[in-house]
Formats: sequence, C-alpha cells, structure tokens
Amino acid sequence: MNVNALQPLLQRLGPRGRHLAAFAVFAGPVILGVGLFSYIPVLWGFVLSFFEARGTVAPQRFVGLSNYALLVTDREFIRSLMMITVFGAVIVPLTVGLSLALAVALRRIGWGRTFFRTVFFLPMTCSYVAGSLVWRMSLFNGQAYGVANMAGSVFGLQPVEWISAPSPPLYWVALVTVRLWLQCGFYVVIFLAALVEVPASLYEAAHVDGASGWQSFRHVTLPSIRNASVSILFLCTIGAFQAFDEFYNVMGGVASPGNITMIRTPLIYLYDVAFTQQNYGYGSAGAFVLTLLIVVFSALQSRVVGFGRAEG
Amino acid sequence: MNNTWHPGTAVRSARRPVAGRIALYGIVIVLAALFLLPFYIVLRNAFATHAEITASAWVWFPPKPTLDNLTGMFAGERPILAISMVNSLIVAIAQTALQLLFASMAGYALARIPIRCGKAVLGYILLPMMIPGAVTFVPSFVLVAYFGWVNSFLGLVIPGAFSVFATLVFRQFYLDFPRDLEEAARVDGLGTWGIFWHIVVPNSQGVFVSMGILLFVGSWNSFLWPLVIAQDQNMYTVQMYVSSFLTSQNPDLPKLFMAALVSVLPIAVLFLALQRYIVGGITRSGIKG
Amino acid sequence: MKFVVFLIGSCVAVAALLAARSVLVRPSSGDADAMVVWFHQYGEAGTDEACQRYTRAFEQAHPSQRAKLSMFPGDYDSKVNAALLAGRGPDVFEHEPTLDDVRNKRVAPLNDLVDESVRTDFHPLAMEALTFEGKVYGVRTVIDTGFLYYRRSMLRAAGVEPPRTLRELVDTARKLTTGEHKGLFIGNDGGTNSHFGGLIVLSAGEKLIDRNGCRFSVPRIAPGVAMLRELNQSGNLLVGATADWWDPSAFINGECAMQWCGLWAMPAIRKALGDDFGIVAWPALDERGAPVTFVGGHSLCVNAASPRRQQALDYLRWTWIDNLEIQADWNLAYGFHLPPRQTVAAQAAALQSGVPAEALRLVQQHGRNLGGWLWLPEMDATLTNAMAAIVKRGADPQDELNAAVERINRALDRLLGK
Repeated sequence: MNVNALQPLLQRLGPRGRHLAAFAVFAGPVILGVGLFSYIPVLWGFVLSFFEARGTVAPQRFVGLSNYALLVTDREFIRSLMMITVFGAVIVPLTVGLSLALAVALRRIGWGRTFFRTVFFLPMTCSYVAGSLVWRMSLFNGQAYGVANMAGSVFGLQPVEWISAPSPPLYWVALVTVRLWLQCGFYVVIFLAALVEVPASLYEAAHVDGASGWQSFRHVTLPSIRNASVSILFLCTIGAFQAFDEFYNVMGGVASPGNITMIRTPLIYLYDVAFTQQNYGYGSAGAFVLTLLIVVFSALQSRVVGFGRAEG
Repeated sequence: MNNTWHPGTAVRSARRPVAGRIALYGIVIVLAALFLLPFYIVLRNAFATHAEITASAWVWFPPKPTLDNLTGMFAGERPILAISMVNSLIVAIAQTALQLLFASMAGYALARIPIRCGKAVLGYILLPMMIPGAVTFVPSFVLVAYFGWVNSFLGLVIPGAFSVFATLVFRQFYLDFPRDLEEAARVDGLGTWGIFWHIVVPNSQGVFVSMGILLFVGSWNSFLWPLVIAQDQNMYTVQMYVSSFLTSQNPDLPKLFMAALVSVLPIAVLFLALQRYIVGGITRSGIKG
Repeated sequence: MKFVVFLIGSCVAVAALLAARSVLVRPSSGDADAMVVWFHQYGEAGTDEACQRYTRAFEQAHPSQRAKLSMFPGDYDSKVNAALLAGRGPDVFEHEPTLDDVRNKRVAPLNDLVDESVRTDFHPLAMEALTFEGKVYGVRTVIDTGFLYYRRSMLRAAGVEPPRTLRELVDTARKLTTGEHKGLFIGNDGGTNSHFGGLIVLSAGEKLIDRNGCRFSVPRIAPGVAMLRELNQSGNLLVGATADWWDPSAFINGECAMQWCGLWAMPAIRKALGDDFGIVAWPALDERGAPVTFVGGHSLCVNAASPRRQQALDYLRWTWIDNLEIQADWNLAYGFHLPPRQTVAAQAAALQSGVPAEALRLVQQHGRNLGGWLWLPEMDATLTNAMAAIVKRGADPQDELNAAVERINRALDRLLGK
C-alpha cells in the first residue's frame, strides 16, 4: 500500500482527521462486523422482549414490559440469578488464582517446562461433552468404583452420592473442578504471554535490593501484569455468569431433569424457555435481565480495579 | 531467545532453598497428574468396549484393548471423520487468520489512536460479550440465512470472524507496548499503517501466537452454530462428528471417546509445535536496561 | 514466524484443504431440486445405511423423484426449530408436532395420506398423539415404550413378587436392596421429573390434562409423590450410575434388581441375562388405579411451507405407510421398537413369543400417551419443578402440586385463548 501517495490528502485532514481516518481503517472491520453479526441480532432480541413471541421469532403481540414484570416474579429465574451470583463470587477468584499460580510456577521451573505447559493447556482441547461425561460417569459417580469415592475410601470414607444428592450439595465439587479443568489452560496462556513481557531489569533491581521471591512477586510481577489480570478478571466474570455447558452435562443433561433443577443457571433456564418451550419473547427478556446483571457486576469490578484507564 | 531473566535462573539457584524447589516441583507434579487423569480415562475408554466402560469395577486398562473403535470410524460409505476434520481445519484456520487480523488492528487502534469517542467505541465492542449468545442465536441464524450462507463455509467463518475477546486482549497488550519503538519509527517518517505492520506486529509475536492458539481452539470446539448451519454430512465439523456417537438411546460410548481422542490430537500437535513462540516475547536486549 | 507469512500461509492452506475436500466429498445424490429429509441420529448400528437404502428404494420406484436424507446428531430439536423459524426447513423431518407448530402453520395436515383403512391399522395411541381437531399432522415411524424390568433370580432370592402398586414398589425395593446391589433404578435423579410424575398420575387412572383443564386429584397424587420422596430418601434407589435409565448397563451389571427401562434395551438385556428377567408395567398408584406404561416414539412431519409438498406426501406414503417391509426392518432389525402398524406388529416373528410377546400385551392393555397436544413443554417444566421441590427440597406435596396445577391451568387458558 503506497501510503505516500495519500500524503497530500492526509495533510489536508489535519491531525484529528488523520487520527479518525486511521481509526476507521484499523477498527472498521471489527466495528462493522460486530454491528452486523452481534448488534442486529441483539436489537432484534431486544425488540422481541417487548412482545409475545411463541413458536416464532417474529413479534406477535405487543405486551410492553409484561415479560420483564413476569420475570421479576418468576421464582425459578430469581433463584437462578442468585445462584449464579454466588457461583461467580466463588469461581472467579479460584480460576484466576489457580491460573496465575500455574503460570508463575511454569515460569519458575526449569526442567520439563514444555511438558507441564502442554499438560495444563490440554484440557482446553477436550470437548466439554467428553469432559462432562468423564466427570459424571467415571470421576464423581456414586458407585464405589468412582474415582472420587475410591480416593475417599483411602481415607476410610463411605462412597457418597456426589451428583444427585440434594444435601450435602457435593455436586458443586464436581462442577467447580470440571470448570477449572476445562478453563484454566486458557487463562494460563494469557498470563504466560503477559508474564513474558515483564522486563528482566525490574527483577534484577529487586534482587539487588534483596527482595525475596514472594516480595518480588508482589511488587514486580503483579503490578506489571495488571492490565492482563484485569482483562482476565473481566472475561472470567462474564464467562461465569453465562455458565451452561458443563453444568448441563455433568448433572445429566436431558436424562436427569430432576438433577438439573438443583443447579439451574440463568442460561440453562433461558435455554429451556426459549428453545424447549418456544417462548422467544420471554426468553429474550430474561437474556437482557441477565445482561444487566453482568453489566452491573463488570462495571463494579472495573471501578474497583480500574479497567478503562489506559496505562503505560 | 532465552534472554528474559527471572527469579529462578541458574544465577540465583545457589541461593534458593532446595526445599522450596522440591515443594514447587511436588505441587506442579501433583497438579499435572490431576489434570491428566481425565485424559487417561478418555484414553482408556477409547480402547475399551461398552461393557468395560460401564462396568461396575475399576479397570486400569482394558485387558484386551480393542482397535475396533478406531477402525469403526473409517467404516461406512463416506469418510465422515476425514471430511469433518478437513472442514474443521478449514474453518479454524480461516477464522483464526481473520480474527487475528481484525482484532489486532482494532486493538491497536483502541490502544494507540486517540480519538474523542474512544471510550464509547470500547464500550460498543465490549457489550456483546456480556449478552448471552444462546438467545440471540435464532435471529443470528435468520440473518445468516438471509444472506444465503447456510450450509456454506461463509456461514461458518464470517459471523465469528470479529472476536471482541481478542480485540480486548490485543488492546491491553498494546497499551503496555513500549512507545519508544513507535516514536523512533515515526521520526523516520512512517505513518500509523507502516508502524503497525513494520514495527509493532513483528515485535508482538508472543501475543499473536497465544491468541492464535486460543482462537483456533475456540473455533475447533464450537458446536451449536455449525450444527445449525450444516445441512448435510458434508458440512460436519469434528465436534458434530464426536457428538454423533452420543445419542439419547444406545449411545456408542467407546466410539465417542475414541472420536474425542482423535479430535484432540491436531490441537495437541499444534500446541506442542508452537510452544516456544508463546514465550518468545519482544527481544528487549537492545532497548531497555 | 511473521504474521504476514501466516496470513498468506493460511490462504494457501485453506485452498489446499478445499481441494482435498472436493476429492473426499462425493456430490450427494440428488440435485438442488431434491426433496430434503431430516432424521435425528439414531444410535443403533446400521440405521444410517438403512435410511439411505429406503431412500434409494423410493427413488427407484419413482424415477422422476430425488430425495436427500441426512441425519443430525446433538441438539436435533434446536436445529429443526431454528431452520423452521428461518424459513429454511427441510421438506420431511422427524418431529413430534405441537400446538405451536399447527398454529404457526409449520406442519402440513396429512389427511389425504392416511385414509380410513390405514388409519385404523395404525396404533390408536399413536394416531391420537398425531391428530388434532380431526387433522393428522404426522406419521409415526417407531413406537417406543417402557417397562419395569426385574431380575427373576434376585426376586426369588428375596422371596418377593413383582410389585403391583406403588406402595409395593417401595417395599419391594427395600427388600431387594442388599450390600451388593440396590433394589430399584429409575434414573440418576431418582425419578424426580415429569416423566415419572406423569406415570404416577396415569397410574391413578387420571389424566394429566384435557380441554377442561389440569384436574387430576391432588389429594390422591400427593401421597404418590411423597412415596417417591420416601424411595429417594430410603437409600434403596440406585443413583449416580454410570449411565442413565435409558441404558440397561446398571441392570445387566447387577447393580440393581429392578430398573425402569425401554423396549429398546430388551435385546441387550436378553443377550446378557438370557431368561433371568421379566417385565411389568409401572405399578398402579393404589387399589383404585391401574398399571401403566408410556407410548412414545418418533414421527415424521411435512413442512407446511415446502415447495415440494406433493413429493413429500408421496415419499411419506410409499416409504413409511404403505411399505410394510420397511416398517418391520426399521423397527426390529436395528433397535427394538414396536411397529406402528398393527398388522406389521402381529406378523413380526420377533414379537410372537417370550418376553417380547408379553411386552406387546402390556402395551395393548396398559399403554397410555403421557402428555398430548395440550401438554406443553412449560407444563413439563412446572411439574418437574414441583417434584424437585417435593423430593429434593422436602416441600409439602399438596401445596406444591396445587401450585403447579394452578400454573398449568393458567398456561392452558392462555393457550386456548381464554
């Protein structure tokens, strides 16, 4: 591309105009693509949420805010929202903490680094269907030969019903572990890419000042990867609120509706409403209420950790 | 390549307590074993029979491992496994290339090009991530059908080619990118376009490779959208192929696990091959310090 | 590794792969004008080839017609619904027609297809499930049903008879539970869903719903669900098995003495256990009720918006209604289902003797349609939630069921436009 040929034109635009032109060229594709493939369906869904739309995605009968009003009194939906908030509060620190710990550990060990990196990344490549099956059928099944029960028998514990027992709610162990297993690799990769960029000179300076490993972690590593950490926190939170696949499959999926009622996340509930019950108006409204919750949470989180601010 | 120093290199090892190192390795090894356990089960089941998989006793490895599951996948009049692998590769490669291209440019723009509504554009790009896709799913399909992209690679690749997640990561990365490289280039008379392609991109290898792998895996694992776009077996992707064994009645569990194993291999290979580029990073020896 | 090199490399790779693909992909039979037929993926071996064979046979019998049959795995229902909603549905497809489908004119009425003589030959419950206000909207291709399978040897050892009422089921489950196996398996969620809720209601001799509403007697049904809770808390239920109730592995492995499972599992059970098993229907709720079993299966519908409606009707009639050979083959050669046409069922050798003959008799005597046209998926969800509240969370059965019935009736009112 012969930029020089455009020089006279660019000169005439002035600095702000030049920036705008450059921005348009660089960010244009994403802006247009997102507009077309994300915003149009989203706006469609938003419009639909003010209508009655059963068995069709064309608005049938205008009902104003009544879908939203029904949602607020919907016992199952409210339960799902409360449940996912608690889940998010637990899983996000766990995931981010574990991923960061793994990434730092991977940076520190010298021998077998490639092997271990691959091991922690590999679960990402596994389809969640196969992974959830392994969790439900082999690891946490209620039989004596389930891996978790075998591990328990080493400590003299009786086989327990992990997944279908309503109390104690041991199914959370299965759900949290499967999610960590499937997702940590993702965040480890991002953390690694960020850790690599930390300048050696900072560590050298800390070493010269007599800092211990833990201190250099707190005062050199953490601040330097702040931007990456903040993004990861953000992504992890959004992902937690939209949990569906592993929950649905580990608890038994279509075969065990009774078990699903115990952990029905908002998305599981909305999927049932929209696709099984073919109630697209109500389902869309629910999706936007969930979106509101996610936006509020993310906004609070970015206020606390300072997301929008550009650093560097 | 290996010039980023970190606490733990040989220089310091004499001072590091041996107990600390043993503990570190111990923890990593235990975690690695836990992470590998499910794969071991997938591997074991892939060579077992239905009875062995649903047996009421623990089996470390089937006494007579069977390759029937593997050969069974090549039976049938159409090479569905091969077709779905090829389809998934086409979609994953094309989509990853486009996603990296568009997201890196947009991320750079958001990080470096100052315009007044920069914050607004950022919000515009981030919002779709917070909206659950499952419910806007059908309108998306109607839209894509309207373009006539059903049962075509266009329908599989283009709608997902604009990754807001990748844009976000690139933006954060470029916020931290050392400005002095770009300043030097600007002094030399390069415009933004030139700086991006000649200075910034060649020095961001690490993030391109990392994001490339994550995006590739995301594309490889996607299931619901390809299911709706495909209208016949010729457009199967590898996840659809794996799921074809998980039917509600009479699921073919052995073949399911073998298919899952087979579908993991290309990515494992890809990851191993690209390992060293992830931690390549910017060569800083000449600039800082 | 430069990014630009990667971009160019990707283009080359994609081009090469597309070329490779065109070698692998033989053009599917039929051109753009072929009739499109969708099935969901059946698990049994040989079903894929069988379907294609029937289609070839149809094309041979009708030289000017072309048909393209595809089977789809995973969430088939979402795929069908999305396609229909986008106006890109197939011509013929497997689907259980619902009231929404009829009202939104998504499925075509098939009355000209099924004339009187044939209509009476189809199993009456199947016809009832597919006929709404006098019009037929689907053709049943297989009938599925379920039974309480029991191990003769285990029952003999414990000195018990197969249960005839729900109370007997609870007691028998207790007596059959030993250190080695549990008494009963009704799913990993302990039967806490609308399937078993429906069975309990039907086993009382009541209906789930009709035009006048959901009016089953809560004072009678509540104790039934309470008994289900008792079962769940007794420790005599097998839960957390490797597979769910649809799969007979638990029964075959001897992990349970009784299991609620489908007709489809009978060949596997017979192969593994020989004669050491028997079947009964789901026990009656009490002395006033009667045993029941469900009658389900799969049906084919025609897309109302299809430009090839006449061809679709021809295809349905030739392949799935008139062709008795295909029906017998499809139902009995791969899995084990009941042929929907009674003449085919009567002539099938596989159903003449032994336990299969007993199965046929049980269905004829005790088979019921679980839901019906007025029973919407949201009512399923309401009933499942009520049962979960009662069984898993210990809520009061009468209160929960009353609330559920009220909710269901409100949904019905909305549906009937009151």
